Formats: sequence, structure tokens, C-alpha cells
Amino acid sequence: MCGIAGILYKDSASDPNRSVGRDMIGMLESMRHRGADSTGVTILGESISGNLLLRLHAPKMGLNGGNGRDPQGDGWIRQSVRAIEGSGATIVDWSGENRFLRLTLDYDGDVRDLAEALYGLPDVQIHSIGRCSEVIKDVGDADELETRHHIAALNGTHALGHVRLATESQVDITHSHPFWAFPFCDITVVHNGQLTNYHKMKRLFEQAGYRFQTRNDSELIAVYLAHHLERDEDLERTLHRALGDLDGTFTFLVSTPTGLGCAKDKWSAKPLVIMERHDVVAVASEEVALRQVFPEEIERYEPQENEVMTWSI
Amino acid sequence: MVDLDARGKSTREINQSLKQFAARGEEVHLLNPQARHNLGVAIFHPFQLVIEGSVGYFAASLCDGPDISIRGNAGWAAGDNLMRGRVHVAKNAGASCGCTIHGGEIIVAGNVGARCGISMKGGTILVGGSAGYLTGYMMQRGRIIVCGDVGDAVGDSMYEGAIYVGGKIGVLGNDARLEDLEAGEAESLMEMLDRHEISAKPAFKKIVCEGKLYHFDKLELLERQVV
Repeated sequence: MCGIAGILYKDSASDPNRSVGRDMIGMLESMRHRGADSTGVTILGESISGNLLLRLHAPKMGLNGGNGRDPQGDGWIRQSVRAIEGSGATIVDWSGENRFLRLTLDYDGDVRDLAEALYGLPDVQIHSIGRCSEVIKDVGDADELETRHHIAALNGTHALGHVRLATESQVDITHSHPFWAFPFCDITVVHNGQLTNYHKMKRLFEQAGYRFQTRNDSELIAVYLAHHLERDEDLERTLHRALGDLDGTFTFLVSTPTGLGCAKDKWSAKPLVIMERHDVVAVASEEVALRQVFPEEIERYEPQENEVMTWSI
Repeated sequence: MVDLDARGKSTREINQSLKQFAARGEEVHLLNPQARHNLGVAIFHPFQLVIEGSVGYFAASLCDGPDISIRGNAGWAAGDNLMRGRVHVAKNAGASCGCTIHGGEIIVAGNVGARCGISMKGGTILVGGSAGYLTGYMMQRGRIIVCGDVGDAVGDSMYEGAIYVGGKIGVLGNDARLEDLEAGEAESLMEMLDRHEISAKPAFKKIVCEGKLYHFDKLELLERQVV
């Protein structure tokens, strides 16, 4: 079992100070019973300095220092900076603590080249690269995520979130949701379920030259969708295509720079409820999460099997 | 009539209070349910409970006797394993609504999700709107009445009982078949819709078990004279 959530303000241009971060943390806290192994969010539509936002993580570093390759625990930062600047990017701003690094860049090159340069670093995981988004994830529940990463202070247009009770792959930060689609900007996925054709499909994508940073089946959904969105650009068609190609149980949400999408498997095995108004849409595994944002009684909709929905800011 | 506010109370405290009121037969209005799970569970006495808002999973489950009105939405498995009594949902209900019920009535004015009435052993489920995938899966007895559409695999592997559908039927499930309504059956359904103030008056189609998956004719080896 896992819990997923999404929120999107359709009239965000008129109110840039809405805290999708605060909304999302509230929704995830209320779904703690669906999983507390790890918790994560994608925040989209923040105003950033520079034109590219990077989230990096050093999973192999000790909590209070480095590892054999990097005894002081800061070599991975120097390596990352070298790789970024070697790709032709200028670092505009950076912040970080406890093995996490957030950087904004000015970069006019191909994001794939930058991603490849960072992928080659042995101690670095790329949590996300985006024009307008960042992935923030950690082990523990939503309260712990908020304490360490201050999600509620983040403003934006839309967001995804996930609470995890692991059934596939390891319980660590790398295998937490959301998963970013290497090397595509702003495409991230949160997933409740299991893919049964993961290994076969992953091999096909690897043979086609795609990279995977984890052994989690949900990362495949992100890469799959990004691959087809690059060719088609129509989110709804891409999600319908995914219903035919992905096998297993799933309800997942995907973020794009301008919207959110959801898809539910043919077994209707995983829950999702949706509340949509003229100005906002909120989706979550359970209504109890929607009510964190909208305390009053609401009209909500539960998609049926094989159903796909999309929303734009 | 008693007002009971769910705010600030644990689920166990709420349910223990409800059981005490039920034993005394006092009507209760439960306020501020806030879509919480497991409200109104395991009540074994006839009494009136009105839940003033939406509830989460397993609402009004494992009950025998009460009359529970939910003035909002319900999550998954509303009315799970009802024995007797009535559960009414004013808006929509999630998947597995009325799973394994033995008796009583579950009425949902709006839509229900997948697997409505899965493995039910009696009783009636009435849905004013539409129902999802695998409606009546493995049902063994009772009636499911859906005024709107049903998804695919309706009545899959059902043993007995009947599913009535007013709207479109997806693909019939394994071993399910359509059957003509018997004399007076349509009138009885209309009377039921009237009683529950459901305005739709569709021409119902009836789905029953075809019986091809039945293999009860063979006796076990020890029951037969084989040597």
C-alpha cells in the first residue's frame, strides 16, 4: 500500500503566493497510515533564479561524514560543481545540508548532456532536473520530511506527493517517490501499485539508450511517459498508451511543466478520489487527504478502471 | 436524539460511544466525520445513526441491525459484511461497496466503484448511479440493482442471485448471462426505487449465473462405490 496525492491551481497566475507545499504536506500527513517508509513531493511552478533547477543527493555518504572515496564528505559537492560547470552551466544559487544539494543554474545546452555528466559521478543521485520543478524526498513520514526540508514554505502552481509502504525494491531515499524521468525536465511520477512487466520493459528502454537510477518499477513509468511525451506531446494520449503497455496494478500521477495527469489500471485495484472546482483540482488515494485542503463537505469523483484524466494550470 | 462530535475523539472512542447509544436504542447524529475511516463499525442493535458528512473506508461495516445514513460520500468497503439493517449513502461510494453482505439493504444514491457486492451472500444493494468493474463478482445470493451503467466483467463467477442493470452493460463476466425479468419483477423494482426516492425509472436488464462453471455433479471418491 502507498498513498499518492496531487494538487493544481488553475488560476495560479492570479495568486502566486498559494502554498502548494503546505497543501501537499497536509495531504501526506493525513495519509500516514498508508505508508511511512518514505515521503516525497514534486513542487512545480516556483519562481526560480536562473533557468534550471537541480536537486542532487549523495546516498552513499555517512550521516556525519564521507565514505572511502570522499573522507570529508564534501568531495561529491566539488565533483558535482565540476561536472555542472564542465557542461557549460553557470551556478546562480545553491543551498544544501545533510547530503542534499539544491542548485539553480543558467544553462542553454542540452539537459541530456548535463544529466549524463552528473550520472557518471559515483556518489551522486539526481533527484530531479527541471525548468520549473524540484523533487524533495526522504525516508520517514511527512512530519519528518517537513522538519528536514520545509516543504510548507514552498509556493508554486502544482505538486505531486507520495507516502510509501515499500513492496518493491529497497527502503531508502533513492527508491522513494516521486521518480524523475532521466533526463527529461519536469516529468515526475508517483505510483501506488506494482508493475509485473517491469524487467522486460526496462530492458527494452535500456537497449534504446535510456538510463535508470534505481531498481524501482515506478521509475519506469516516468521514463516511459517522458519518452512518449517527447514524441507526441499529448498527455492524455500518452496515458492511454500507457494503459495498454504497462501491466500490473497501478494508479499513478504524472507531473508536466503545465499540468498533471492520472491513470488507473484495468483491475481498478488502487484507489483515487478527485475533487475539481473551477479554480483548483485535488486528487488523492483517500478523501481524508482532500479534506485537509478543503475542510468543508465536497463533491468528489472516483475514476473507474482504465480511466485517464489530465488537468492544466 | 443525541449529537456526537467526532472532532478530537479517537475512532475507538467514537465507535464505543455509538455501541452504547445503539444498545439503548437512542438516535445519534455524528458530526464532523471528515472522511475518517472505520466509523460506525460492529454495531449489533437496531438504532438510527445519521453521519453528517463524508466517511472513509469500512464505514458502517460488520453491523447487524442498525439503520445508518451517511449524508456525504463513503470510501472503500462501505457496509462491509452487513447482516441486517440498512446503510444509506447520499452521494458516491468507493470500491467494494457491500462486500460479503449476508442481508439488509445498502442504498447508494450516486455511483459506486469496482467490485460492488463482491462475494455477497444475501441482502440487497441499490445504486442510483453507475457501478464499476467486476460488479457482483463471486456473489452467492441476493440482489444488486444498478440504475445506471455497469463496467466490464459484471457478474463474473457468480453462483446465485441477480444483478439488475438500468443502463449500459460492459462485457458480461465469465458464466454470467442475461435473462428476461419474471412477471411482476419490474414492478417490484420500481416500488423499491420509489421507496428510496430514486427518480430514475429505467427498463432493467437482469443478469444471472449461467451455471457452466458448476461442477457439483461429481461425488468425491469416498462418496462413490468405486471398487
